[in-house]
Amino acid sequence: MATYNLNEVLKQREAQKAAWEAATTGKELALDDISRVKVLSPGRQVFKRFIRNRLAVFGSLLLITMFVFSFIGPLFYSYGQKQIFYKYDRQNVNYALAKENTTYNGYVLDEGLTLDRPVVNSMNSNIKKMQAAGKDEMLVLGDNGGYKIGKIGEAVYVLSAGKAEQVCSTGEGTVKVGSYSGVSKKITYAGETVEGLEEAAAANLKGKEGTFDFNGTTYSYTRGAAKSYDIFAELSGISYTGRTMDAGFESALAEAVAAGTDFSYNGESYLINKEGSLYNVYSVSDLKDARVFTNYTLDTMEVSGRVSDEFKAAALMAAYGDGEFTVDGQTYTVVPSEGALDIYDAAGESYAEFNPFSVRRYSGEDTMEYALKNAVAAKIEEMKLSGVKSGTMVYDLPQQNEDGSYSRDEEGNLIYNETEMKITQRDTGEYVINCDQINYVIDMYAAPSAKHILGTDGDGFDVMARIMYGGRVSLMVGFVVVFIEILLGVIMGGIAGYYGGWVDNLIMRMVDVFYCLPSMPIMIILGAMMDALRMDTYIRLMIMMAALGIMGWAGVARLVRGQILSLREQEFMVATEATGIKVGARIFRHLVPNVMPQLIVTATMGIGSVILTESTLSFLGLGVKHPLATWGTIINSVSSASAMAHYAFIWIPVGLLICVTVIAFNFVGDGLRDAYDPKAKR
Amino acid sequence: MAKFTIKRVLYSILILFFVMFLIYVLMYNMPMGYIETKARELASRPGATKSYAEWLADLNAQYGMDKGVVLGYLTWLKSALRGNWGDSWAWTIPVTQEFHNTVWYSFILGFVSFVFEILIAIPLGITAAKNQYSFTDYFTTVVSMVCISMPTFFIATVLKYIFSVKLGWFDLSGMQGRNYMNLSDFGKFLDVAKHFVLPSITIIIISIGGLMRYTRTNMLEVLNADYIRTARAKGVPEKKVINYHAFRNTLIPLVTTLGGSLPGLFSGALITETLFSIRGIGYASYTSMTQGDIPFIMFYLAFISILTLLGNLISDLLYAVVDPRVRLS
Repeated sequence: MATYNLNEVLKQREAQKAAWEAATTGKELALDDISRVKVLSPGRQVFKRFIRNRLAVFGSLLLITMFVFSFIGPLFYSYGQKQIFYKYDRQNVNYALAKENTTYNGYVLDEGLTLDRPVVNSMNSNIKKMQAAGKDEMLVLGDNGGYKIGKIGEAVYVLSAGKAEQVCSTGEGTVKVGSYSGVSKKITYAGETVEGLEEAAAANLKGKEGTFDFNGTTYSYTRGAAKSYDIFAELSGISYTGRTMDAGFESALAEAVAAGTDFSYNGESYLINKEGSLYNVYSVSDLKDARVFTNYTLDTMEVSGRVSDEFKAAALMAAYGDGEFTVDGQTYTVVPSEGALDIYDAAGESYAEFNPFSVRRYSGEDTMEYALKNAVAAKIEEMKLSGVKSGTMVYDLPQQNEDGSYSRDEEGNLIYNETEMKITQRDTGEYVINCDQINYVIDMYAAPSAKHILGTDGDGFDVMARIMYGGRVSLMVGFVVVFIEILLGVIMGGIAGYYGGWVDNLIMRMVDVFYCLPSMPIMIILGAMMDALRMDTYIRLMIMMAALGIMGWAGVARLVRGQILSLREQEFMVATEATGIKVGARIFRHLVPNVMPQLIVTATMGIGSVILTESTLSFLGLGVKHPLATWGTIINSVSSASAMAHYAFIWIPVGLLICVTVIAFNFVGDGLRDAYDPKAKR
Repeated sequence: MAKFTIKRVLYSILILFFVMFLIYVLMYNMPMGYIETKARELASRPGATKSYAEWLADLNAQYGMDKGVVLGYLTWLKSALRGNWGDSWAWTIPVTQEFHNTVWYSFILGFVSFVFEILIAIPLGITAAKNQYSFTDYFTTVVSMVCISMPTFFIATVLKYIFSVKLGWFDLSGMQGRNYMNLSDFGKFLDVAKHFVLPSITIIIISIGGLMRYTRTNMLEVLNADYIRTARAKGVPEKKVINYHAFRNTLIPLVTTLGGSLPGLFSGALITETLFSIRGIGYASYTSMTQGDIPFIMFYLAFISILTLLGNLISDLLYAVVDPRVRLS
């Protein structure tokens, strides 16, 4: 049992106190004094050496800034990476097209009637013909009936359809009498039967064709197939198809033929169809109104008001009739005025107007105000009078927003801008109205301003936001790729270094092969292929990271193997073997941690170079794609010569950012290496 | 030495065999839709000499795409060894001819840059090492670090912006000026040389940093060696210590690395040539890659792999040549 000497204990305590005092006041310090020796853990030693290196500290600060900027910055930045910015900008646009409408458009009056298409299609030219001849009526023959075009008012024409029946033929020509069959010696008559013609024909028909006289009429014939002949009679006077008309008709016909017009007799209308020098006369009867034609266009007082064709047809018919019509239960009145038809609704308000002058938006839409149309029409009238081909006018135009509709203020009123409009006549006779319109457009390539610190790019994205989000992707790519590289490299290198022999040989040959593989060309080929397959940009990102990782592990494996080869001969490995630790644990728990310093240095430097590779690929457009941002894609968007020259504010900051980040990784890597291995510091 | 050389060569050939196999597998596994699309595009181009089916038949015949991977690889290897690399899709001439047309431009560009790189980087690296921790040293370190960290496209763009856009001294890209045809032979030479200035500067800037650091590190290692201390202790003048004792020994690693990078002069600068539209092999292969020109891509990848292996071989052999210690062991 130990004995205590109180004196000794007190002496010791005294001595300790003195030593402590000496240590704090700096007096009487022995060389081996405990307070002189400050023991640091290996980690802290490395840290201390690291922070002594100014470049490394500078690099770390840069990296921290970069991470805060890319990963935390977007949380406080109000714009997103895919947010498109718009602005109001003046653009000179083709605003409208004005023309005097000379084409006649038809509106259906009676849907039950089927009309001959050629007749409807030629309405325009027929109306022009009527106008040229100063006629108010015209008869037209169709395949299925007869038609009448009647003028009911200024620029309003009605097409009526009815039956057409041939009455007679006149003039010079031949009329088919019938067909003679040489076998049955009979004539199949087309019209009236001629007595004795069969005998005369039997006697005279010879050869291919010829003529013969019979009863004072000359007949001609041509031979058809199987001994049959077609027999024609030379026409003289009038040859009736059906009933015979009186002398009054014949004199009216003669007059009409001489004048080349249609005629009516006894309240019936007749149409003369001229074929060469033969005139076929048809009676047109049973007429019903089918379509109404006009060259007027309808402008409603309400902006872009929609009016049915039924309304237009009813209005046109009423214009020169009783002046009143009802559509959809509403009654309207229509009053013809000079060169126009005014339509009023039941309350007597002006509702719409038919006029020959059409002013439409350049796209063909009818979205212009009536007053504007009128103003344009008036200006064009004035231009016509003074004989000039272009003119200007000023008018308040409504402003447009992003989807092309009109923008309104808080109270829902349209916003108007006073606009100078330029009216020019084209060679085709149309008038084009040009003006500067304030449109809502994408804010492209905006210079840096308070709203956009670094401006906007070609897609209207805020460059600052793009840089932040791009930094995320770029840094993330660096980390993931290096992680894959290290993982593969440590596994392969660890196995190779530990086992040695043929395993080592095999793995190292693989390393040699991968070392030799040209990675940049392969990445470019991959990118081009993914381009052609139109792969989704996120999938591309994954594939790119995997490919870069797989092609980069060889260097790490070489490093790990080299270290492990020397480490495995050391005593602590013998100890692990003696204690019976499993092989996996021996490699990855006892050997690999000893390689950690070199791995960390390689990884830090590696991230920098991966960021460079990724940005190069993205710059070439073969890496990450729009709309996902990376630093490379941002520069890629202004890589063309003109964009590069004009929009330096976009690519210079991004390029500098890439440089600074990579430099920072290299500084930190250098610093770490020196800190881990001070002997190697030179 | 002969035995060592033969062993190394045979070993390189073995690796080349497997590298080519990997490249072949990569191409073999390309989605057929992609190849067909490219072949169709090719056949529909103005002045196309072959139809779409003919191109594909050519491809099958030469690359054995219709056989298994191993058999197909052997088929391709056989025709490649005989020098039959097929017709380029993008350039519509035999691959070897396109190679011949372009490789010398790449070589000139690479060689000029290489010479300037050595002339600038080695003296700077040695000066930095001589005055360790001086301003020159820090300056050199930072500059080399910056050069290493700059992306090629950014340097090229900055150079273009300053010298082409702002100062207007050089053309933005291309190899010939506008009135190239009207110039005399010497004028043509000068014109092309002028167009090579910016690309060369770009390549010099990217490669200078690494060499500078390497020189500095090795020089420092030598300067810390015992024989330098001995030389100094004997009273050898400092100039002689540096230029005679130290520099010669620094040359050992430098010569091996530089020797090893000699074959690389033929490989072309993929990005730089593309950005400046220099019709070298890098630009040609980039165009081919983006257009899916399989024959030229295969040729280029094989060519690059051979160059890399050749570089390793040369540097290994040079190491043995320059350092007698290696030869003995």
